[in-house]
Amino acid sequence: MKRTIYIFSDGELRRKQNTIYFEGEKGRKYIPVENITEIMVFGEITINKRILEFLSQNEIILHFFNHYGYYTGSFYPREHLNSGYMILKQAEHYLDNEKRLLLARLFVWGAIENIKKVLNYYINRGVELNEIKENIKNLQETIGDCKNVEELMALEGNARDYYYKGFDLILNNPDFVFESRTRRPPLNRLNALISFGNSLLYTVILSEIYKTHLDPRIGFLHTTNFRRFSLNLDIAEIFKPIIVDRLIFTLINKGMIKKTHFEKHLNGIVLNEKGRLLFVEEMDKRLKATIKHQKLRRNVSYRHLIKLELYKLEKHLMDETCYQPFIARW
Amino acid sequence: MESNKMRITGSLINAFYICPRKAWLLAHEFGPDPENVFIELGRILSEETYRREKKEIVLENMKIDLIKRAKEDVIVGEVKKSSKGHHAAKMQLVFYLYQLKQYGISAKGELLIPKEKKKFKIDLTQELEGELKQTFLSIKKTINQTQPPLPKKSSFCRNCAYKDFCWV
Repeated sequence: MKRTIYIFSDGELRRKQNTIYFEGEKGRKYIPVENITEIMVFGEITINKRILEFLSQNEIILHFFNHYGYYTGSFYPREHLNSGYMILKQAEHYLDNEKRLLLARLFVWGAIENIKKVLNYYINRGVELNEIKENIKNLQETIGDCKNVEELMALEGNARDYYYKGFDLILNNPDFVFESRTRRPPLNRLNALISFGNSLLYTVILSEIYKTHLDPRIGFLHTTNFRRFSLNLDIAEIFKPIIVDRLIFTLINKGMIKKTHFEKHLNGIVLNEKGRLLFVEEMDKRLKATIKHQKLRRNVSYRHLIKLELYKLEKHLMDETCYQPFIARW
Repeated sequence: MESNKMRITGSLINAFYICPRKAWLLAHEFGPDPENVFIELGRILSEETYRREKKEIVLENMKIDLIKRAKEDVIVGEVKKSSKGHHAAKMQLVFYLYQLKQYGISAKGELLIPKEKKKFKIDLTQELEGELKQTFLSIKKTINQTQPPLPKKSSFCRNCAYKDFCWV
């Protein structure tokens, strides 16, 4: 399986003799081009056109994060898997309200199913989350009543509000309280973790979309505005609870991430470099972890699970099999 | 889809014999999983073998692995990883020979399997030409359908770059 490269230090990223070369203050390094699918850049790096051309040729995406760890943007090389057929299908399902609503409902339904799985895990361990789960379940049952995508988004937001209230009960840790969901900037440590984890997941999904024929700009639940990527946000709904949230619980409950991994900036709180490094490492491990796939009857990694999700979506768009979101089994 | 204008290619012929669904997907520019190791292997195989011969000739809708001359004859070679799918590979070559014949070039074919140290000579017989024309019709019929043929399990599925797409 191809790897992800993370660059945390400052330096220059160059093309050198048909491979990638990084020269930073801490040393120099060759990065074998054949073996990587994406590079996540957290440090301050200098690049030139030659390296961008080289990355494009080798179908490698470059994701940038700013000084505070916020997602800045991606160098998304020209599409290498072009299928006019698939673009038309994707647009058709976006433009036809009924078709779009069906997909949007399936994303929300799948997201809530996976949220319930996470809650169940802690309910079985004696955490008092039954009421929260009940509220979420009630919301889930009204998905069919939503007449448009905006209503669905609102429903999903409400479900998440209930769900996040459960975080305090699950974590029961004064250093990591939820209070309320805050972004840009996150106002406490737990929110900082959620924001950072989600943006990492968005980029990973974007990289997986790149390996399919789908256009990342056409989402179904998240409105397309033709400039930003939105399909990755749709798919992320399915995987946030089982990848990001579970990772956060593990990091906090095992005492791996501590108060010292955060820093204040402006009015908010963000992970510091050490904290980011730790989070990214653990996230990478999780994406490589495998589970037995029921239908394919073999082990697949969480990252591959994302690609499979995109395949199912493609098959839905070509009217072959109705999309069924991935639901964790436990 | 304006399938009437869809061009038949060598890999399309090969794919059709192996799996009509694969042919449909290819014809709709639905390329295979770029991360599949066998795709990578194929690319390396074509780069690393027969380095002294003339390589990769692109002619309209043909991408011929290698071309060489032997006395009076032009020999067209197609390189494959194994002899599995022998007939499909053979018909791919037959297609090239047939195309070249339309240009007035009479060529002979060689199916090359470096890993097995095998070489098969293939001539464009009337019988094979007949089969090819039949196949043209079947391919057109398949790829003109609005949807791909449903997946069918075969021994080719195991290493196919579409396997996850088909079976998930």
